[in-house]
Amino acid sequence: MGLLLFITVLLIAACGLIYELIAGTLASYLLGDSVLQFSTIIGCYLFAMGIGSALSRYIDRGLAYRFVWIELLLGVIGGCSSALLFLAFAYTQGFQLLMYSLVVVIGVLVGLEIPLLMRLVRGRYHFRDVVAHVLTFDYLGALGASLLFPILLVPYLGLVRSAMLFGIVNVAVALWSTFLFAGQIGSVRALRVLCFVVLCGLGVGLAEAKHITAAAEDNIYADEIIFSRDTRYQHIVLTRFKDDIRLFLSSHLQFSSRDEYRYHEALIHPGLSAIPVPRHVLVLGGGDGLAVREILKYPQIESVTLVDLDPEMTRLFSTNPMLTELNQKSFLSPKVHIINADAFPWVDSSTDSFDFIVIDFPDPTNYSLGKLYTTTFYKAVARHLSVQGLMVVQSTSPMFARDSYWCIAETLKQAGLRTYPYHVYVPSFGEWGFVIAGHREFQLPTSLPPGLRFVSVEGLPALFQFPPDMSPLPMPPNRLNDQVLVRAYDQDWKDISH
Amino acid sequence: MKASRREFLQSASAALVGLSIKGDRPIAGSFVNDSFQLGHQLRDRAAFAAPSQVVKHSVVIIGGGIAGLSAAWRLHKKGFTDFVLLEMNDQPGGNSRWGENEITAYPWAAHYVPVPGPKAVYVRELFEELGVLNNGQWEERYLCFSPQERLFLYGRWQDGIEPAIGLTAPDRDQFRELEDRIHTFRATGKFTVPMEVGFSDSTSGLDRISFADWLGAQGMNSRILHWYLNYCCRDDYGATTANTSAWAGIQYFASREPDEKGPLTWPEGNGWIVRRLLERVGTFVEPNRMVHKISPRGKRTSVLAGDTEYQADFVIFAAPTFLAPHLIEGMAPLREFEYSPWLTANLTIEQLPASYGTDPTWDSVFMDSPSLGYVDAMHQSLRTHIDRTVWTFYWALADRPPAENRQLLLSKDWNYWKEAILHDLERVHPDIRKCVSRIDIMRIGHAMARPQVGAIFSRERRNLADTQGHILFANSDLSGFSIFEEAQYRGVAAADKVLRKLSGTV
Repeated sequence: MGLLLFITVLLIAACGLIYELIAGTLASYLLGDSVLQFSTIIGCYLFAMGIGSALSRYIDRGLAYRFVWIELLLGVIGGCSSALLFLAFAYTQGFQLLMYSLVVVIGVLVGLEIPLLMRLVRGRYHFRDVVAHVLTFDYLGALGASLLFPILLVPYLGLVRSAMLFGIVNVAVALWSTFLFAGQIGSVRALRVLCFVVLCGLGVGLAEAKHITAAAEDNIYADEIIFSRDTRYQHIVLTRFKDDIRLFLSSHLQFSSRDEYRYHEALIHPGLSAIPVPRHVLVLGGGDGLAVREILKYPQIESVTLVDLDPEMTRLFSTNPMLTELNQKSFLSPKVHIINADAFPWVDSSTDSFDFIVIDFPDPTNYSLGKLYTTTFYKAVARHLSVQGLMVVQSTSPMFARDSYWCIAETLKQAGLRTYPYHVYVPSFGEWGFVIAGHREFQLPTSLPPGLRFVSVEGLPALFQFPPDMSPLPMPPNRLNDQVLVRAYDQDWKDISH
Repeated sequence: MKASRREFLQSASAALVGLSIKGDRPIAGSFVNDSFQLGHQLRDRAAFAAPSQVVKHSVVIIGGGIAGLSAAWRLHKKGFTDFVLLEMNDQPGGNSRWGENEITAYPWAAHYVPVPGPKAVYVRELFEELGVLNNGQWEERYLCFSPQERLFLYGRWQDGIEPAIGLTAPDRDQFRELEDRIHTFRATGKFTVPMEVGFSDSTSGLDRISFADWLGAQGMNSRILHWYLNYCCRDDYGATTANTSAWAGIQYFASREPDEKGPLTWPEGNGWIVRRLLERVGTFVEPNRMVHKISPRGKRTSVLAGDTEYQADFVIFAAPTFLAPHLIEGMAPLREFEYSPWLTANLTIEQLPASYGTDPTWDSVFMDSPSLGYVDAMHQSLRTHIDRTVWTFYWALADRPPAENRQLLLSKDWNYWKEAILHDLERVHPDIRKCVSRIDIMRIGHAMARPQVGAIFSRERRNLADTQGHILFANSDLSGFSIFEEAQYRGVAAADKVLRKLSGTV
């Protein structure tokens, strides 16, 4: 009897400390500044325990019955505390309020435990033995918990399941106490049934904790991640928040479905509408099919050839219902031919000619991608232009990467092309720039396909005007043997992020 | 020593654990392109069968490296076709030979040509013909792509090979001072490529001391500067600064423009040039034809190779000149020709090792390594995604006398050299053993002429270069050092000399 009683003390002490550690760890993870988080949480917790101890004097009847209830409440609140906090952080603004409330409630309940227990057993032992034994096992439980937590619980169970597990321990103590103090409790059976139900509930929680964490983490790290895959070439991530779908390639944002129409209408229509009779179009990059969607708005177009490196990317945007809704099944059109190949060698070896060529590559963040922004590449692409042909190049931001933008324009010039730079505001990107280039003169189109949401004939001239903060800068061209663009791009982004 | 200790540890731990060490790929490979056996037949005066047929040509070119192929290119371009080129190996190209696997073509030795200056007239003519130089513009896809070079030092990579981090003020001063001195030498116009253009007796004093001594006399003692200059000399001459003539050390820097954006390079290195030359003159090339005797007979010269006696009005001897006394009847032994032994290896890289945050470069060099680092054959690829490649690893055995190093080169087995190469690479790429599937190694005992003290102004060398008889010499070793432009210049010059003599006699 005695030993079992003191093991109970040990267990409840461990549970109490575990909840405190979980709150501290979670707050450090999610809010940072672990010193501040742990200090305030330990402070609140100890203070709340003091309140609990003080309140214990107001309980004078049904001690055992109330002790069982306290254990039950602790099991439920403590066991769910971690999951509740995760979800609160992900979905609400009130994380800190909830966290400190939970810490205080748990602290008060834990503060009640030991005084009640000591009073429950005081008749059985000398007072000095009670104090000595209870406190000894209390501190032993704390030691066990503090060692268990970092070594086993966090690495192997995680925060949500650790809390659930110790919630179960608390409830088990409650159930156990109904036997231990059977003589001092009236309605033992009802209490036992309740304990059993709560125990099952927490058991389910323990088993399903993964889903809770996953749901919460999706919301913590960005919007909900609905697709994530490492392909041979890149890391593809799709996120969704309400109706906004975003595509990230190797952590760089490619589009947001809320405003991508601005980007893709501006990429395609100023150039394509300026070509009298466009029949054959080439898209380099653009594996999301959104540029192709815009191109297919011209019924006279007979073929669209899309060259994208990553077959997983084009497959995803050909088959996923949410994404094909976005690109209006553009890849399923019989006019569209998808070629999964590295663009430069493909351009070098192909002999086809095109009326419009869209170059929509990721930004020149490294020397490999930088090859696709060189005089040699643009010369090779220009060989594929028909007599009436024009090309358009995604050219980074003239606002945030002004050197890079004008370097790309200069590179096109040095490749022997006439250039027509323009820009557009895309909320999720900011100011974004393109360059139309060709052997011939480009004139603004006088008509556009119906149903566009952003580009209009009246609005076109403004796109080609650059205010002073984005106006041309003298830049050298980007060459294979001297990739000034990659260095400029790196510097541009360093300048605005420091 | 290290290799055997590692093997011991591996087998000991394998015995303990009952497993071989996990994670490393099995590495295949062998020695390739060995040609010393053929050369030793000549040295040891092996008996050769008497010829069974006689073939007559106006000109016989001996040696299918850059010098011989350039002589052939010149003759052919001038409309002269009565010649044959005899190559000892089955693959022409000499130091510009190349290989190819399912990933890429790769060089076996010479892998670049610095952007030629205006004085390298023949090189520019060739490059115009090959589309490398168009209307005064160098074709971008043949210029080495960014980023070109990196150096591993103090546990990290820096851009460029000239040390730029961790320099003290005296280091910087000495680098700057050397630059000033070089600038002055460059301005004299006496250090040129090809060297014959600016060659002047007034610079002969520099050939009488070593580069190391010259640097000492200038008060340049920076350890970092000396490492860098040693690297340069090992890279171009296969010798340390102590074994390089000061003239050659200065030539390395003063003959080039400091701000050139190059060099010109191809996946298979200078093998690309050999391929283009073979497209033009390949039908004149007879491979596997080792010449074993050359006998001057008045106006005609007899050349014995295999079962054939070639009779020629003129012989262009474009093979390494040290072979000549073993072949030419009555020729006195040569005393002033020295060569550096080299080892090159091609490593098949199945996955790229971690690179400490830098983009992979064309050339990667490690400070204080006995090797010269490696060159990436896929660097000139236009692809954006590269997951497999071939590295060519270069090692000039420069630290001991050449004869001793040649002995070492031939006495150690493939496994020894494989381990030596991996040890060197492991300092920079600790995961290299997980990445390599194959290491093929080429040993060249007499890889390149060594411009040691006195070599450039050597009387013996100058006399052979000026020979006016029926046997003309054309190897780059007549310049005192082996670089593409010298070989090409000597080959073209010998062809021109022959054409002049032939037109004089007609």
